[in-house]
Formats: sequence, C-alpha cells, structure tokens
Amino acid sequence: MPNARPMFAMFGIGCALLSMSAPPHAAAGERPTVVKDALYGEVLFYFYQEDFFPAIVRLLAARSQSKLDHHRDESELLLGGMYLSYGQHREAAAIFERLLADNVQPEIRDRTWFFLARIWKQRGYLRQSAGALDRIEGELPENLRREALMLRAQLLIDSGDYDAAIDLLDNWKGKTEWASYAKFNLGVALVRSGRVDAAARMLGELGGMKPFNDELASLRDKANVALGYAYLQNGRPVPAKRTLQRVRLEGPFSNKALLGVGWADAETGAFDRALVPWMELRRRDLLDSAVQESMLAIPYALASLDSISQAADHYLHAIEAFHEESGRLDRTIDHIASGSFFNEIIADDPLDSTGWYWRMDRLPDGPQSRYLLHLLSTHAFQEGLKNLRDLHYSHRNLENWQRRVDVFHSMLETRIEAFEHRLPRVQNALRRADLDGMVDRKLEFDAVLNDIERSRDWLALATAAELGTWGEITSLESTPALAADIPEAADIRAKVALLKGVLQWQLEKEFKERAWRIRRELRRTGEALVEMQRARRKIDESMRRQPVEFAELSQRVAAVLPRIEAMQSRLEDQMAMQRSYLRSIAIDELDAQKERLAAYTVQARFALAAIYDIAATVGEAGP
Amino acid sequence: MNFANNSGLLAALLLFASTAILAQNTPPAIGAATAAESSMAALIESGSRDTFRALDADVQTLKKEVLDLNRDLFLLEEELLFPANSQVAFFVSMDVGEYFKLDSVSLTIDGKEVANYLYTDREVDALLRGGVHRVHMANLKTGEHELIAVFTGQGPHARDYRRGATVKIDKGIGAKYLELEINDRVSKQQPEFEIREWE
Repeated sequence: MPNARPMFAMFGIGCALLSMSAPPHAAAGERPTVVKDALYGEVLFYFYQEDFFPAIVRLLAARSQSKLDHHRDESELLLGGMYLSYGQHREAAAIFERLLADNVQPEIRDRTWFFLARIWKQRGYLRQSAGALDRIEGELPENLRREALMLRAQLLIDSGDYDAAIDLLDNWKGKTEWASYAKFNLGVALVRSGRVDAAARMLGELGGMKPFNDELASLRDKANVALGYAYLQNGRPVPAKRTLQRVRLEGPFSNKALLGVGWADAETGAFDRALVPWMELRRRDLLDSAVQESMLAIPYALASLDSISQAADHYLHAIEAFHEESGRLDRTIDHIASGSFFNEIIADDPLDSTGWYWRMDRLPDGPQSRYLLHLLSTHAFQEGLKNLRDLHYSHRNLENWQRRVDVFHSMLETRIEAFEHRLPRVQNALRRADLDGMVDRKLEFDAVLNDIERSRDWLALATAAELGTWGEITSLESTPALAADIPEAADIRAKVALLKGVLQWQLEKEFKERAWRIRRELRRTGEALVEMQRARRKIDESMRRQPVEFAELSQRVAAVLPRIEAMQSRLEDQMAMQRSYLRSIAIDELDAQKERLAAYTVQARFALAAIYDIAATVGEAGP
Repeated sequence: MNFANNSGLLAALLLFASTAILAQNTPPAIGAATAAESSMAALIESGSRDTFRALDADVQTLKKEVLDLNRDLFLLEEELLFPANSQVAFFVSMDVGEYFKLDSVSLTIDGKEVANYLYTDREVDALLRGGVHRVHMANLKTGEHELIAVFTGQGPHARDYRRGATVKIDKGIGAKYLELEINDRVSKQQPEFEIREWE
C-alpha cells in the first residue's frame, strides 16, 4: 500500500484526538480548533506542521508550568498522539490506557488502539499489537476495518497459528486492495499448512485478476510466483508453468518466474525448452539469485541434452562469475563493517523530521547499495534505521543546545552584573524616598483635616488667592483711617464688610465640598502610600530573593551541561549499538549471499569434475 | 505493501528450498536461491526481533529523556532570556482567513522594529487550523508602551494588502501575553486585525 496512507492516517488520529472534546463542527474538521490557552495554540502550530519534536517539547514545558488549564485532557491526548507519531509507542500507550477508558468517543478510542496495534506490529511487539486490537470494541471505518483484519491475520500467521488465520481470512468478502493482500496472505498460510489445493484457489484467483495499479500488478506477479513454485514443489509442472507464465516479463518477479518456467519444462524432460527462459536469465543482473541459479541450471540442462562440452564451458563461466561476484560482496562487507555506510545513509538525509512516519526508500548511491535493496523491505532494517535516525536527530539537537548553554552563562552573568550595578542606585533612591516620613506626614494631614472639620474652620480650606483676599480685607478693616467717623469711612467700612461677608459666605458654602475633596485626595494619597509600601516590600523581597534566584539559576545552568554531555555520551553508545545491529543484519544478508555463491561454486566444480570424469572415461574407453 | 514482503512470497518460497530434481547430472535445487533469500528475510524478521526489541526499549527510554531534557532547557532558556516580571509574548492567530492570505508580520515596540516574520504556506495552514505562532518575546519595563503590528499579504481579489494595528500596552509586574488576531469581517468582506491581551 502507498506509504502516504499510514502517514496521513497517523496524523489524522492526532487530529481526531485533538478534536474529541471540541464542538461537533470542529470534530468534523470544518472549523479550526478553539484555543483558550496561548501555549496550547503554540503546540498546535507545530503539531499541524507535523513538527512533533518541538510540539512535544513545548507541550511538556507548558504543562510543567500549568499553562494548559483550559485544555488539560485534550492536551494529554494530543501528547499521546504525538508520542505515537514520534515513535514513542510505550509513552503513547501509557497515556491512552489512562485516558482512553471512558472520556473519549468510542470511534476515536477504537481508531487509536488500531494505530497503536499497527505501530506495535511494525516494531515486532506482537503480543501488545494483538492486545491493542482486542481493545477495539466497535466498528472501525471501512478502510481501517479491512486493515485491522489484515493486521490480525498477519499476527496469527506470524505466531504460527495458520488455521486461525485461515478461518479469519477465508471469510474475507472484500473486493479492495486489502482483500487482495488478504487473499495472498491466506494463500501463503494455506501453503504453509500444506493445503496446496486450497492455496491454489486463493492464489490462482489473485494471479488471474486484472490489476488497476502497479501495486496490484506486482501482487499478482507475487501470487503467480508463489503458486507456481507451490505446484513445482507438489510435482505438478504443467500448472506450474501455466501459472508462472502469467508473470510479467519485465518486473521484479520476472527472473524468478523465468527460472521456475525453466524448471517446469525440465521436470517434464523438456530440457531444450527449459533452456529458453534460462538463457534469457543469463543476460540479466547476476545480483539476482534467480540469475545465479540459472547459471547452474543451464549447464545442467545442456548435460542432460548430452552437450557435455558446452555444459563444461557454462560451468567454468559460472565459477568465474561467482568468484567475481563473491569478491564484490567481500568488498561490500568490508565497507559496511567499517561503519561508515550507515553514517552515509544518515548524512544523506535532511533530518527535517523524525519518528514513525519516516521511511528510507532508497539507499545512497554506491556499489554496496545494490546488495542491500532486499533489506529495505524488512521491518527489522527499516525500524532499526528509524531508531538510528532518531538518535542522530537527538544527538544533533543536543549539540545545538550545547552551543547555546555557553550563551546561558553569559546571559546570567549579564543579568547578575546589571543587578549589582543597579542595586546601590535603587537602595539610594529607596533611602531618599523616606516612605515612613511620607506616611507620618499623611497622618498629620489627616489630623489637621479632622481638626478643621471639627472646628468648621472654613478659612483653613481657602485657596492661596482667597486667603490673600481675606488678608487684604482684614488688614483694611484694621486701617485706622477707616475708623474715622466720617461718611466716606463708613461707606468704605460697609463695602469691606460686604466683601468680607461675601468671601466668608463663599468659603462656608464650599467648606463641605472642599473638605470632601481634600479628604478624597488624602485617601488617594493613603492608597498610593499603601501601594508604595507594598511595592517597597516587593522590591525588598526582590532584592533579597534575587541573589538566591541567581544562585539557583547558576546551579541549573551549571548542571545542564553535564546532563547534556552525559546524554550525548549515552546517545553515542546507543547509536553504536544501533549501527552494530544494522551492520549485523546487513552483513548476515551479504554473508548469506556469499554462502549461496560458495555453495553454487562447489556444485559447479563437482559437476565440472563429473563431466571431466565422464570425458576421461569416454576417452579411455575409446579406440 | 509490507505484509507481502515480510512473510508472504518469501516465506512461501522457503517451503521449496529442499526440493531437487534428480537427473543424470546434479541439478541445483529448484528455487534454492529464492529460498535462501526468504530464509534470510525470515531470520531477519524473527531472529533479530528480540535484539531489536531490547534495543528499541533502550532507544525509547533515551528519546523520552532527551525530550525531558529539551523541556528543561527550553524553560531555563526562557527564564534566563525573559524573566517573568518583564516578559511579554506576542502571538499571531488567524480566524478563517478567507479575505486575507498572510505573508508577514512586523512588530514595532516604542518606535523600534523588533520582529519581522515571513510565513511559509505550511505555517499559514497551521495558523488557519487553529495553531498560534509566538512571533516575538520581549522584556518590557513596567509602564505604558506602544505596539505597532503591520500585517502584509494578499487581501480580497488577491490584491497586495498591508495593514497596521496599534495598541498601547500597559505592562505591569508579571508576564503578559498579547494576541495579534487576523479575523474576517464578513459584513465588509475585509480582513480585520485586532490586538488584545490574552486572558
């Protein structure tokens, strides 16, 4: 199946988990997620770009600061989904087991278990994979249901429980690509359990289908090859040949089919006909095991046709070709053993993503790559490469942090310097501020105002101008000239009295309001003073705490570098182990190829010796 | 498709490994080559499974520890660079986005340009789906500050669009988060840019 499918499907589960507690329209993907915590939105920003590593880090950071309060459950499930996407299936499973029990819609829960089952199967955790499948309670969507069935069948086949696999797959009614794969796997399961006729029914149906894409065409070829060889194994060369002839001449299975067609003819004694496909194979790439085998099959057929001399030539040619190929294999083994091969693979990769989605589709160019193509199809190799790649990513990530930690030191030193530089100025300013004096003065003002109000001293609340006017009036009053008993003086005294009366009347009239205004200002001043006292306490606390905080930060900064270095060292050890594991798989594969060539070479030499013996015997018996 | 690859054909062919056609000379076993390949694959898949799982468990543990270390480093860096008392974070968010395709956002605080961020299509898509981008972090003293955000992109009818939004920030003690939100104003068929404090 296309690689893109699991990728989008996996991303989809993250989205599904994400939207499970959102309103229905959001769950349907029609509206964006409603973000209530900024940092949750930031996590989503990376999640939607499928940058899982920074998304997980941000989520963990925000969670540790309790800044995801509005999205507590959602963020936890999202974390599970992202762990799954990042290949952390154990972490993911722990979260799902804790959270999926009852607070998630059943269909999302089932889907999540399905994806977990798939990643576990892929990583070889067969029991856990089967366990996850068992937890699916409802009906999955059609495409996932088919794949889940396939997954279960495959788990049964892998565990050797062929009959259960047959029971499961025999009832398969689907007409999709998955159905074709199911039939193929059922056919294989049937062959394994020795039920060739039943296998022939399944594989034959598949081998005769009209494929609508390259993948199915390839599957059809595989089915025909498998069935053809099953017939050959069963001593039925005629149907074997018919089946194998259905395989496309150009395709990954054509070599094996040509080899099998030759064997089918050979088995009926038609060695001359067998030579036709085998001679065609001889022109093909010697790397293919079918081509190698044909190099022995040809002289075998020629000898069977009494063309002894030609057979000897072909055996000699085969021995030489096997020797050269074996030499190339040795060089490749040396290259892989040197350890640089896997570094080249990783170096070729842009490292822009990590985790479960990633899949190596082609090996770097080089003579060794052609021998290892077969390995690319195995989960063990692919998953091993993924792990190596993720470890490499982690190592690069920590290298990056390592450079930044130096800056941490400078940042902290700068802050400490700035603090120490500002501290005396702040302390001076605080001393000058005389906050206690201000409070005393405010209390004095309160007392004065109380007295004024109590004595209703309206003049005390006069403005400076009013007070000036009042002073002028009272000084006029005491002017001796005004005391004169003349009409002009009496007139002026009356006017002064009027002025005084008006001013007094005004001051008395406004006394209450003025007193209220002053009281209000005093209250505000009091509040400001309280605020200032509070701020002062904060500043004092801050001045006291700051050195402690700096010391704590210094400790954290100092501790971080050894942590990074220790982690890097462990990553390097783990990468070495991972490379060693991959190297052993690769070298085992190449050794097997070499052993096969060695066995063929021995076989060719024996055959050649036998021919020489026959020739010698004939020569001795001759005239 | 891996199901077939890993145990289908190869496993089937494994069955035929021991068959030989006897004739007057010694023939190679039918399908011996393909059988050898298949047996190798089977060994890789099954024999190395235990090794893989042991390694995988260690890798999982290590990756988790690297994530935790990254979390600690991320928090430490933030605390060092942006102490909580002076920290202000500026987030860009989008709602719908039908009338505006975002290209970039630039921020000016108190007359000084502090950020100019160009968005990729992937990032814009993440914003449209509900993601929120932390476009800038700053340390601001307590008191009033002026923020000017300029959004450029394509407006209605794919026309170049540039619009600014200004807001006074009253920075107190403690971290402050500001949201620069791009909205669609359906009634005017125009985008709308709002800056507000994240509650």
